[in-house]
Amino acid sequence: MSLALDLSHEPRTGIPHGKLVMWAFLASEIMFFSGFFGAFIVLRQSNIDIFTHSSHELNWKLAMLNTFFLIGSSFTMALSIMNLEKKDKGKFQLFMGLTILCACGFLVVKYFEYSAKFGHMENGHPHPILPSTNIFFAFYFLMTGFHAMHVIGGMIPMGWMFFRSFTKKGYHNATRVEVLGLYWHFVDLVWIFLFPALYLLFPTM
Amino acid sequence: MAHNHAHSHPPEEVMMKEYWKVFTILLVMTVITVAAAEVQPLHGMAGVYINLILGLAIATFKVFKVMQIFMHLKFDHKYLRAFVFIPVFLFFVMVFALTQLENFNHP
Repeated sequence: MSLALDLSHEPRTGIPHGKLVMWAFLASEIMFFSGFFGAFIVLRQSNIDIFTHSSHELNWKLAMLNTFFLIGSSFTMALSIMNLEKKDKGKFQLFMGLTILCACGFLVVKYFEYSAKFGHMENGHPHPILPSTNIFFAFYFLMTGFHAMHVIGGMIPMGWMFFRSFTKKGYHNATRVEVLGLYWHFVDLVWIFLFPALYLLFPTM
Repeated sequence: MAHNHAHSHPPEEVMMKEYWKVFTILLVMTVITVAAAEVQPLHGMAGVYINLILGLAIATFKVFKVMQIFMHLKFDHKYLRAFVFIPVFLFFVMVFALTQLENFNHP
């Protein structure tokens, strides 16, 4: 009898390991963001005046632009996977490049949004809006900050695959790009809930 | 087992059409959410609740579409397909929490 671990009796799902692990990771990410959303909702209900007033100080136009950036990047990510699968190198590079560009656009808009808050003026005097300003802005910076970190975290492997595809070795691992795509779409999904929760779902003033 | 293979989705032309469809849906629905929140035609609690539930329902539908098409869950293994129920479940939790939790400032 062989001493090697025999797993032949184990049922096989047929799901590629990378994909299965990514979904398990995304499940943990759902819980990570659910914690924030749960606390946000409970504290929103008990501080509705502060939340409503503070939410109206946010710039929903910039946030809508950022929504378009993320939706666009999800779309181009799906196309880049499709083109790598059929070994169309040029189009893979085009759509992966566009995905990274949209992600950069998102971060640039975020930079302007944050700096407008830090440089906020009231009656001609500097009156910066910080996480310590009130409970709403604590959530605003915490949730959008963690989300922006996820965007940066996705850009690193995307950039690596993009630049690697220009080298002699090239980049051919479509399954790996598909797994990264799952993560990237998840980052988009979080924003789809964050945008209305922070900017839109409050009574008009 | 063809349905378990990593590239088991429908042919390229079909997927391309689906991708464009979802992309358009996402853009249009974003504009609807923003318009509904900015206008809020009904005043008082009814307007607040309509804005809340409409915004969350649209967000949930967008998430559902992204998971089904962009994340390929519609064509994936049945174990993974169960993931699409999570946003639907969270939708009901959020609507319940946002409409039923005591509003401490305005009893």
